[in-house]
Amino acid sequence: MTTLATAPSPGFDAPGVEDFNLPPIFGEVTKPVLLFVLAAVLVWAFFTITSRRPQLVPSKTQFLGESFHGIVRNSIARDNIGHDYLKYVPYLTTLFAFILVNNLFGIIPLIQFPSFSHPGMAYALAAMSWLIYNAVGIRKHGFVGYLRVSTWPPGVPWWVRIILTPIEFLSNILLRPVTLSLRLFGNMFAGHLLLLVFILGGEYMLLHSETLLVNFLSPFAFAMGIVFTFFEAFIQVVQAYVFTILTASYIGTVLADDH
Amino acid sequence: MNRTLLAAEELNPLVPHPVEIIVGTIAFILLFLVLRRTAFPQFEKVYAERTDKIEGGLRRAEEAQEHAQALKAQYEEQLAGLRAEAARIRDDARAEGQQIKAELRAEAEAEAARIRQRGEEQIAAAREQAVRELRGEIGGLSVQLAERIVGDSLADPARRSATVDSFLAELDQMTPRREQAAPAGGAG
Amino acid sequence: MVVGNLNVIGYGLAAIGPGIGVGIVFAAFINGVARQPEARGQLQGIAFIGMALSEALAILGLVLAFALPA
Repeated sequence: MTTLATAPSPGFDAPGVEDFNLPPIFGEVTKPVLLFVLAAVLVWAFFTITSRRPQLVPSKTQFLGESFHGIVRNSIARDNIGHDYLKYVPYLTTLFAFILVNNLFGIIPLIQFPSFSHPGMAYALAAMSWLIYNAVGIRKHGFVGYLRVSTWPPGVPWWVRIILTPIEFLSNILLRPVTLSLRLFGNMFAGHLLLLVFILGGEYMLLHSETLLVNFLSPFAFAMGIVFTFFEAFIQVVQAYVFTILTASYIGTVLADDH
Repeated sequence: MNRTLLAAEELNPLVPHPVEIIVGTIAFILLFLVLRRTAFPQFEKVYAERTDKIEGGLRRAEEAQEHAQALKAQYEEQLAGLRAEAARIRDDARAEGQQIKAELRAEAEAEAARIRQRGEEQIAAAREQAVRELRGEIGGLSVQLAERIVGDSLADPARRSATVDSFLAELDQMTPRREQAAPAGGAG
Repeated sequence: MVVGNLNVIGYGLAAIGPGIGVGIVFAAFINGVARQPEARGQLQGIAFIGMALSEALAILGLVLAFALPA
């Protein structure tokens, strides 16, 4: 569908969408399904081990868990939600850890598949965040009040409002979960595709090319693959962070008294 | 490259797999519920304890400082009292000392006066005795002298004593005159 | 001869604006931190939110490149 096959090398079939359609391992269970379960188990194990026998002066493992929890608690939840933030810290921490581990699966050897490059779970998490911040808003302002708060910016002339209110409604209510999920999915998808292009391309240059020069150039492709692996690691952390901070920011906007 | 083209019916990457959504959502919600009950309260508890410890420490330090301030004030008060008392005692001691000194001086003066008086008395007595002895001796010497000069004419004791007495009276009269003349004439 | 999908060209065009936007966001972030290093924590969250918002357009372009029929 999107393959830009160039004429001089008809033999190399560039990686594309079909690389993401993994065959089911058994029954309906595909690789991402197992990865989600694995990620949940890993996150559970991490927090269970680090929170066992907590002490005032933390041990090294406790310090790991505490700093992770503390980052989400203080720099994401508290700075974006404001007072009353403690209620949302468990959800945000779970969200961050779960997305982060699933993203990092993309560069962990032998797993090497970011499970959010399949969009299903990204949709599900975005829907969850959407439900939460709408529920919080409706509980605080009432249904009509919430609609008014999120689509009726104060101090705007009526003729601007004709255009602005639908846009606000669209962006605040409808598009937020869409961009939230698609951002995560798109980054993981594109990042994985990028790595595939360099690694599979390097492999093709090394093994299947008839020209000797191209064979010798393949290390550059692998080197670029390694460089982009580090870049992907950064992107994966940032995307997990962005998903969490945007959820927190939406909750904070909804909770804010003066909108 | 074993490109898997068998899943061609789902080529659009935007179409989600229902199994993933179901299993993933269940896993996530379970994870959330479990962690919310087990791990995160532990962290919060530790944070709360830590905050409490720090704030409690501050409060305790404040209390200790207040206590120390009160003690200090009390000590200063006591110290001021003690200082006043010490001054009073010192004044008393000084007064007493002066009194004692004055008494001692008076006593010593009295003693000195007494000693001096006795000395004067002794001197007077010695002088009297000396005068008396001298008188007797002078009398004897004069008689001897006169006997040698005039012979035995004056052997009669009655006449002799009358003569001597008159002579001595003359001497006594002469003595004040000489004493009056002494400061002027300077002779002994 | 080049065979391909016009959607990808469209996505490439759609990525220009968000690219510039993300650059502006982080330039402002760096400026802000250079002026007030102590405000780094607050600015970081805002910078990432801004990046996410402008990046959303690029992501929408990517998704539409796949979603629309060729």
